[in-house]
Amino acid sequence: MMRLPVHRVLQKAVRHGVSGNGAVRGLAAAPEKVEVFIDDKRVLVEPGTTVLQAAAVAGVEIPRFCYHDRLSIAGNCRMCLVEVEKSLKPVASCAMPVMKGMRVKTNSEATRKAREGVMEFLLINHPLDCPICDQGGECDLQDQSMTFGSDKSRFTDIHFSGKRAVEDKNIGPLVKTIMTRCIHCTRCIRFASEVAGVDDMGTTGRGSDMQVGTYVEKMLMSELSGNIIDLCPVGALTSKPYAFTARPWETRATESIDVMDALGSNIVVSTRTGEVLRILPRMNDEINEEWIADKSRFSCDGLKRQRLTLPMLKNQNGELTPVEWEDALVGVAQALKSARGNQVAAIAGGLADAEALTAIKDLLNRLDSELLCTEEIFPLDGSGTDLRSNYLLNSKIAGIEEADLVLLVGTNPRFEAPLLNTRLRKSWINNELNVGLIGPKVDLTYSYEHVGSGPDSLNAVLEGKHAFSKQLQNAKRPIIIVGSTALQRADGAVVLAKIQKLCSTLRAKGSIDQDWRVLNVLHRVASQVAALDLGYAPGAQKIRDAKPKVLFMLGADEGVIKREDLAPGSFIIYQGHHGDKGAEIADAVLPGAAYTEKQATYVNTEGRAQQTIVAVTAPGMAREDWKIVRALSEILGIKLPYDNLNEIRRRMGEIAPNLTRYGDVEDANYFTQAAQLADLALGKGSLTTDPLDVPLKELEDYYMTNSISRASPTMAKCIQSVRKQRQSKY
Amino acid sequence: MASPGAIIKSTTRQVKPLLSLDKSEARRRVLNLYKAWYRQIPYVVMDYDIPKTVPDCRKKLREEFDKNRHVQDIRVVDMLVIKGQMELKETVEIWKQKGHIMNYFKETIEPKPQGFLSKFLAGHE
Repeated sequence: MMRLPVHRVLQKAVRHGVSGNGAVRGLAAAPEKVEVFIDDKRVLVEPGTTVLQAAAVAGVEIPRFCYHDRLSIAGNCRMCLVEVEKSLKPVASCAMPVMKGMRVKTNSEATRKAREGVMEFLLINHPLDCPICDQGGECDLQDQSMTFGSDKSRFTDIHFSGKRAVEDKNIGPLVKTIMTRCIHCTRCIRFASEVAGVDDMGTTGRGSDMQVGTYVEKMLMSELSGNIIDLCPVGALTSKPYAFTARPWETRATESIDVMDALGSNIVVSTRTGEVLRILPRMNDEINEEWIADKSRFSCDGLKRQRLTLPMLKNQNGELTPVEWEDALVGVAQALKSARGNQVAAIAGGLADAEALTAIKDLLNRLDSELLCTEEIFPLDGSGTDLRSNYLLNSKIAGIEEADLVLLVGTNPRFEAPLLNTRLRKSWINNELNVGLIGPKVDLTYSYEHVGSGPDSLNAVLEGKHAFSKQLQNAKRPIIIVGSTALQRADGAVVLAKIQKLCSTLRAKGSIDQDWRVLNVLHRVASQVAALDLGYAPGAQKIRDAKPKVLFMLGADEGVIKREDLAPGSFIIYQGHHGDKGAEIADAVLPGAAYTEKQATYVNTEGRAQQTIVAVTAPGMAREDWKIVRALSEILGIKLPYDNLNEIRRRMGEIAPNLTRYGDVEDANYFTQAAQLADLALGKGSLTTDPLDVPLKELEDYYMTNSISRASPTMAKCIQSVRKQRQSKY
Repeated sequence: MASPGAIIKSTTRQVKPLLSLDKSEARRRVLNLYKAWYRQIPYVVMDYDIPKTVPDCRKKLREEFDKNRHVQDIRVVDMLVIKGQMELKETVEIWKQKGHIMNYFKETIEPKPQGFLSKFLAGHE
């Protein structure tokens, strides 16, 4: 656990002040800019920037191994040496702040000599195993030795003593280590301690005996461990599931969106011959910066297991048997034909896309039914889901960096949305962010004030009886994040109403900016916001009350509705991509496409619409989800009026225009009105005394949360080794 | 700037004829080609030993000509006639094989699914 020393904090604050978003922080006018010359090109930069950053401004990229934008500066690889006029020695540009009138030569004879020298030393201690190295083709050392290295080597092992060799470490089932290849850039160490908040990695020994590792054999217990694979500039840390699978030039990259949590992290899907090989992060400063969580990265092998590839119908013996698409659709249509109005219902799971949700809603509406529900519950008392601001993460993910106080209610962001947690941690390190938590005491990787574990402490904070409420009152930019878990309870409506009240009382003081958002809801599944935008009713209570004869399950795999909840002799249709709890109870199975196999819209918890792109075709007879519904409608004789993606998206736009504005967040408002209407909910019930609980408390709970990750062997291995690590004495 | 007269002149400039000088001449060439094919068909059926009757083939011949019924440009008509003559020559001289003749009937080509539902069932986009 470390926070930055004061001077680092100040330095960061200066950077923020200039970028504009920190202007309110009350800093003095931006200090004068410093003039430096990079290769005789004049650039003006802020005081405190490094030579390397100044060179980037001038359009010169200086080679580096240890320097990384989002990590602290180590300055130990020496690759970024440059010549500075009037300086006796070459200067490590990543660690050297600019000075007035500095003249930097990035391409002089001395600079090139220095780089060649550093490269030569690095290569002396680096094995020549590029042909069998997984980093081959995307290795910084390979690339830079081609560009900046010498054309010949003086390294001849005349005594045949062999190169330096280091024992490999076992740090879990995700990251493979080949420590002989390590060049000691310490990026992984800095990532683990700064971003992931797991201080397990470090160095032992010195000089040529230096080793990077965990000192004792220990698993890297982090939900972000996969990122050190991307950070490693050489092949010392590679992906264990991807080992010896492919070379980067054989694969095809598709830019897509992750659906494992509600943040919608941007990803790149690497595919070859119709198979997803790996998933890498894609930079998006608004959402995931350049990290992704382990579930997003490694659960892609679940896309190949337990898949539904053929349409199936139950035969006379009650066994699901594969049939042709035509027969399956006719069978389903027969069941739907006999049902009208309240006799037919649909329930959507956490991985459903907006297109399929739209199609099913249109289909059921044409059958005179409004029984469309999601598996996740959201209270409908008060203004419920009528006002978008009630169910969004209104401050946005990047907005957390501007907050000065965060109160988490009934959520464990570390496992429900790991990248939101890294933002919180980043803010905790750099901006002295204070965090309060109402809910079970969990490890968030940073220190927080445990306000209480039950809803009574929420009451206390609201009434100003708790010590924390003073902090809340004094905060200029407070954020209250309520987890979707807290709203699943019987008294969820009251919890939400109390929080809305709290937000409006904080706002009423007037010390908070007019456009600052206090209320935030953190969802757990990718489909929820789109479903609510489209007018789905949250929670399955409506279905239990109506006892329909036909139930259409769209990827509903959490077992919320059981056969007993429906009318006797009911017909259950399951449409989805994995054989999980939903397909188990179904009478008809329609195989759909997973998120890597369809072009589909997902709206994240901020309300940002993003689309996945087809990386591979769906396996077997599986089809894109909205097309299945569209085909079914034609067989039913109530043809839905869209034949292609553009047409269904136009229809989506008619229902909720924000669904097709990709990449944008539509601002939601009406907080005052929502707070006024919250009184209605407060009048209806009161808080129970059960403590607020979260299902994902420990790392082993994190790995399997949906049908894809439950089918993933890698995720199973992760759980196994976390459990094993818990037995270990370290 | 060019005068309006010049523009009209340049756009209505005379094009070089391919063979025929007017519509009626082009039409005569088409009919001649049609007749030539029509008379050749019994020999084609016999020589190539195709599983089609003479009336079948004559129907196909008419179909092939009807395909280009809409063509108005004399030069295009002429060009099509030339191509038709070449085809005929190849057929008469038995430079073609049985398959080439049968290819006019496109019996082995399955029509692509039309409409959403048939595309869906066939698994095409």
